Parts: sequence; C-alpha cells; structure tokens
Amino acid sequence: MGTARVVFDRWEGRYATRMRAVRSSAVRDLFAAASRPDVISFSGGMPDVARVPASAVAQATHETAYDEGTVALQYGSSEGRPQLRQTIVELMAETGVRVQLDDIVVTAGAQQGLDLLAKIFLDPGDVVITEGPTYVGALQAFSAYQPTILSIEMDADGMRMDLLEEELRRLGPRGAKFIYTIPNFQNPAGVTLTPERRRRLIELSQEYDIPLVEDDPYGRLRFEGGHVKPLRALDEDVIYLGTFSKIFAPGLRLGWMIAPRPIRAKVLLAKQAADLCGSAFAQVTAERYFGGTKWRKTLQNLTAAYSERRDAMLAALAEHFPSEAHWTMPSGGFFVWVTLPSFFDATTMLAEAVERGVTFTPGDAFYADGRGRNSMRLAFCYAEPERIHEGIARLAEVIEDRMALYRAFIAAGAISGEVCA
Amino acid sequence: MTEKIAVLMGGRSLEREVSLKSGERVFSALQDLGYRALALDVTPELVRTLRSERPDAVYIALHGKYGEDGTIQELLEFLGIPYTGPGVTASSLAWDKAITKRLCVENDIPTPTWIALTADAFKEMGAATALDLVPGVVGEFPLAVKPAEQGSGLGLAKVDSADTLAEALLAALSYGDKALVEKWVEGTVLAVSVLDGPEGPKALPPVEIVAHSGLFDFQAMYTRGETDYFAPARLGEDAIERAVGIAVQLHTLLGCRDVSRTDMVIADDGTPWVLEVNTSPGMTETSLLPMAAEAAGIGFPELADSLVKAALLRLK
Repeated sequence: MGTARVVFDRWEGRYATRMRAVRSSAVRDLFAAASRPDVISFSGGMPDVARVPASAVAQATHETAYDEGTVALQYGSSEGRPQLRQTIVELMAETGVRVQLDDIVVTAGAQQGLDLLAKIFLDPGDVVITEGPTYVGALQAFSAYQPTILSIEMDADGMRMDLLEEELRRLGPRGAKFIYTIPNFQNPAGVTLTPERRRRLIELSQEYDIPLVEDDPYGRLRFEGGHVKPLRALDEDVIYLGTFSKIFAPGLRLGWMIAPRPIRAKVLLAKQAADLCGSAFAQVTAERYFGGTKWRKTLQNLTAAYSERRDAMLAALAEHFPSEAHWTMPSGGFFVWVTLPSFFDATTMLAEAVERGVTFTPGDAFYADGRGRNSMRLAFCYAEPERIHEGIARLAEVIEDRMALYRAFIAAGAISGEVCA
Repeated sequence: MTEKIAVLMGGRSLEREVSLKSGERVFSALQDLGYRALALDVTPELVRTLRSERPDAVYIALHGKYGEDGTIQELLEFLGIPYTGPGVTASSLAWDKAITKRLCVENDIPTPTWIALTADAFKEMGAATALDLVPGVVGEFPLAVKPAEQGSGLGLAKVDSADTLAEALLAALSYGDKALVEKWVEGTVLAVSVLDGPEGPKALPPVEIVAHSGLFDFQAMYTRGETDYFAPARLGEDAIERAVGIAVQLHTLLGCRDVSRTDMVIADDGTPWVLEVNTSPGMTETSLLPMAAEAAGIGFPELADSLVKAALLRLK
C-alpha cells in the first residue's frame, strides 16, 4: 500500500558552489510532482525495455555467472574488456566506422563519456559549442565544469553551418574547447544532420582547430531512409560517443568512447578517478547478448514499435494541434520538437498541462541561456499509440485554451503577433 | 506528551517546494518537542494514510491551491481531524485577493485601487480591447499585476508602462484564472502577523521588507541576500500602531483563527494600504511569520508548538 511520507535532505547548504550551475530550473522543480498514474508523460526519453526478451537477458547473465563468474565479479581494466571492445568494433563497422580495439574506451553509458570529456577539457569560462536546443544531460555534465555554452540554431537539416561559421569566425581558431553535436535524430529536436553539412562541419572543425564530439545514441533507430555515415567515418579526430542503452538496455549502463590516443589517455586517467573501471559483469553480459543474432530481431522489433509511436504522435499532432504550431518530422529516434508562436510561453503552460493529465518538457530545459520558452520536446518512445493519441488531444486542449487568450490579446492589439483565424 | 501530529506539505500546488521547506522545519521542531511527528505529502494516498495513521491533529504546512483555499480544511473537517490555522470560510475568503480587498473597502480599510479580470473576460468578452482604460480606472503607471489566487509572489510583475501591461496579464493568467491590476503604492512594505492568544488576536512586531530589486516576488522571497528584513520595522509608533490595528481587524473580519499574516504598504503619508491576507504563512528560514515571532521573543519551536496546541484543543 502506498504512503504519503516525505524524506528530507538535511545536508542542504553544505554543497560545493559548482553544483549551483547544475540545478534544474525553478519552474521544472515546481512540477516535480507530476508522477500521478493518470498523467500521460511525454517527458522522459525512456527506451521500451519491456520489448527486450527476458529469456535473452537471462541466458546472457546465466552464461556470465557460470562461464565467466570469476572474471565478471572481479575488477577489470579501465579501457574495458577486449571482448566487448571487439563487439563494439563490429557494431561500428556496420555503421561505416572502421576502428581498432585500442581506439575504444568502455564507459558507464555515453553520459559518463560526456562527464569525462568535460572534466579533461573544461576550465571555468571555457567555450563549448552545442546545437540549440541540445541534450539536457550534456548541459548538466558540462555545467558542473562552469563553461560558457554557445548554441547554434538548427533547421530540418540539422545544425546550421552558416551560423556555426559566423560564431567560429567571431571566436577565432581554438576559440572553443569542442563542438558537441548529436547528428542523428537529435535530442531534443529530432532532426538529422545531412551528409553535406557533416562534411562542412568536419571542414570547419579542422579549419578552426576545434575538436568535434559526436554523440550518437539513436543512430541505429532509423525508421526510414538510408543510413547516414557518422562524422567519425569522415575524420579520425572526431570523438565519438556510443551507447548500448538504446540497442540493448540503459539498465546495464554501458557506452563507449572512440577518441584519438592522447585524448584517450587523459580520459582513462579521469575514468580511473571516477570509477577505476566499468562493471565487468555488465560487460560480459553485453558480450554474450550480442554474441548471438537474436539481438538483431529485438532491435528490429524495438525500432518498429518506436516507428509506430512516431506515426501515432505525428498523426495526433496533425489532427489536434492548432495551425500556429509547427513540429519536426523525425525519421528515427525518440523525439518530436514542437515550436509555438514566439509570443507563446510553453514553460508557464506546464502547470495547466499537469492539471489536465499530460506532461512534456518545456523547451528552455534544452538551452543554457533560458531561450526556447515557446517550444517543447515530446517523447514518443514510451507511451502506447492509444495513450499517445489521448495525451496529444489533452495537450492540444491546453494549448488551445492558452492560444484563445493570446488570440484575444492579439485581436485587441494588446500584444503583437500573427494568428490564424 | 505523545500526541501524533501529521505535518502536511508538498502537494500539487505551484508552491510545493516552499511548502516542503516549511513542512520540514515544522516537522523537525515538533519532533524535538517530543511529538510523534509524521511528514506527509499530499498525494492520492493522503486520506488512506491519515486514516491508518490516525493523527491527533494535522499541521497544515501547505501553501497555495488546495492548502490555502479551503480544500484541505474542508477535507479535514469531513475526516474529523483538527488542524492548525484558519477554517474553511476564512481560508476561502482570503485566498481570493479581490474578495479580501472588497472586504477592506466595505470596512474603510485602505487598499490600493484595483480591477480583477478573468481569463474568460478576455477570451469571451474582449476585455483586452479595454486595456487603454486601465490607467484611468486604476491609476497611472506603475501598476502591479498578479494572479488573484496565488502566493509566494508567483506571477507578480511591476508594470511601468502600457507597453508591458498585456504581457504581465498573460503571465499572471498562466498561474490562475483571475488576474488583478492594482495601483502600485510606493512606501514601506510590511508584513503583520497575528496570533490568537488567551485575550484574543494579538499582532506580532511587523516585519519590514526591502527587496533589492524593488519587487518582492518569488525570486526575492526565496533567494538569500536578495531581500533585507527589519523586525521590528523601522517606522514611527503611530504608523506601527495603525498597521497592527488593521491586521487584527482583518484577522477578525475574515474569521481567521490561530494565525494570519496581512501584507501591506505604508505610504509616505503613513496610510497603511492592504495588499492581501495569508492564512497559511510560510515557515521557511526566510519566512516572515517566524521572523516576527523571533522579534517578539517567541522561538520557532514555541511558535509551532502554540499552533499545534491550539489545534489539539479542538480535538473532540
């Protein structure tokens, strides 16, 4: 039986100053309570792990315990087990990236890779360039090291290279510590960087001597269209972050980093300080899971489910959302990015949405500077298609309600803006 | 003394975080005092938990919607559990600032001129076409814009010109269905807490508030160093006496019991302009009621204890 008991943080007031920058926004804190069961959540980007067959996981862990128990229960090397890195070499080859065993460091999810890169590269005040909007977890990982984060706008083809070039010209050579990008089915925007722009991005990175960090959690979750080669396939200096979270399960906390040797050496030092080595047990389990061929079928099932949910969300958006709203058309991944008119404040709308039983992530979460208030990220990966439809209908009502107010103000000439009748 | 006291906090209100801070402080104070204290969040499990835990009284450390508007009070009446603070009627009346202000006008208590507009008045009746009339009716800029039913300065804005009035109204209306536009009164901001005692309601020393930004909003209220407080207030005896008299009068008019806090601005001519009455004042480290109590020589545990004892007296 549930309870309403509360537990407190009695250490408040004793934390380091650097943690202040990592705090989430006041408004999002206000809605920390949105965990009622009747609420349909489009907030979290959670993989549908229920579709990973328990039998395959049981088989892999069984083998781990019985065949390699003494290794799996022991400390391992900081770079990760060679067998798993061999698996990663093969996975990378399938996406068009040729790497050696030694190019790879196994990390606790790609998230650890972000933290380690920030740790080895960033002093307070250093510049980092990201897409705008960008992954909130990257902003969190970077913020702890107190950099200045500059974001570059995207369109349907990904990060705009003209704007990036403008920024780079202003900053000059080595004017930023790195450029962080999620080229495939970007989180949160859902867009994919085109092959032409990938080439241009590499050129600019070389011209201005600024390393590229390529974060690629969703690359294999493509619903349609041809595979686009990762940036790492075009330039060996690109730092690549991969993860097992979306092709297997986030519960294992397994990811990897591919980086030039000197960077890898620094990353390994930082990783030793962080956790000595990754979980050997998780690594052996993943080796065994990817040892067979069943995982391919499972990944196909997962991708098909996400694709169906993407369809459900796009259809529901087209049916219910007002004509003033625009959204991206992801051909893979987890997210749709909705942009409302510039006068619209999606952040304050969240209060009303929670009351009506639907949540989303307001756009300003994905910017370091408070922009994005007129936008929102909708995750289609987790809810079943019928729930998606119901949730979008509820959200549309809330938007319509707010929009009616904005329209009245615009019609009266009280605020400026253009609305459709 | 082993009475079991459930401290209600959190909930779904926009002031959830503030309430959790208030609740935490009250909870540990009650524990130190020897009560069997219970910290409860307001969730769909609340009633079930209250029924199984059977507390002797409830301390309402909730702020905002459901906690301060009569909802929780009505529920606790139904469950037959005594609770701290004002009852259903006083809570419902004070929750709507416009009603409190009407009550002021009817009783010759100064309150700044205002208008109240609902979202429906804008959506269904074209109220936005009349914004040009606002300065004529309410007064010249600057004006204060705020949601009629909300605490902690959420959605509060000082509007300096006609250009930003609409924007401020839209923001206020995302925090509730009714917005107030009120004449901005320059002067000393004062919070006057009133506690019920054996000889009836008695005011604590007024607390003077100096927000560095000039606007005592959510940010100023809950960020250390952004606001200075003076308790007792740096005002003459006459002004203090008048302010205190009004706070006690409003406490009685609204039918408050145990505690209330009236916020007002004392203009340069000494007129105390009433802004609102709070029936569930904050109990955080930067809150005004504990500060006033401290100035009167009443420590936080003693304050919490007196409120709990008053509720326990109502135990049938």
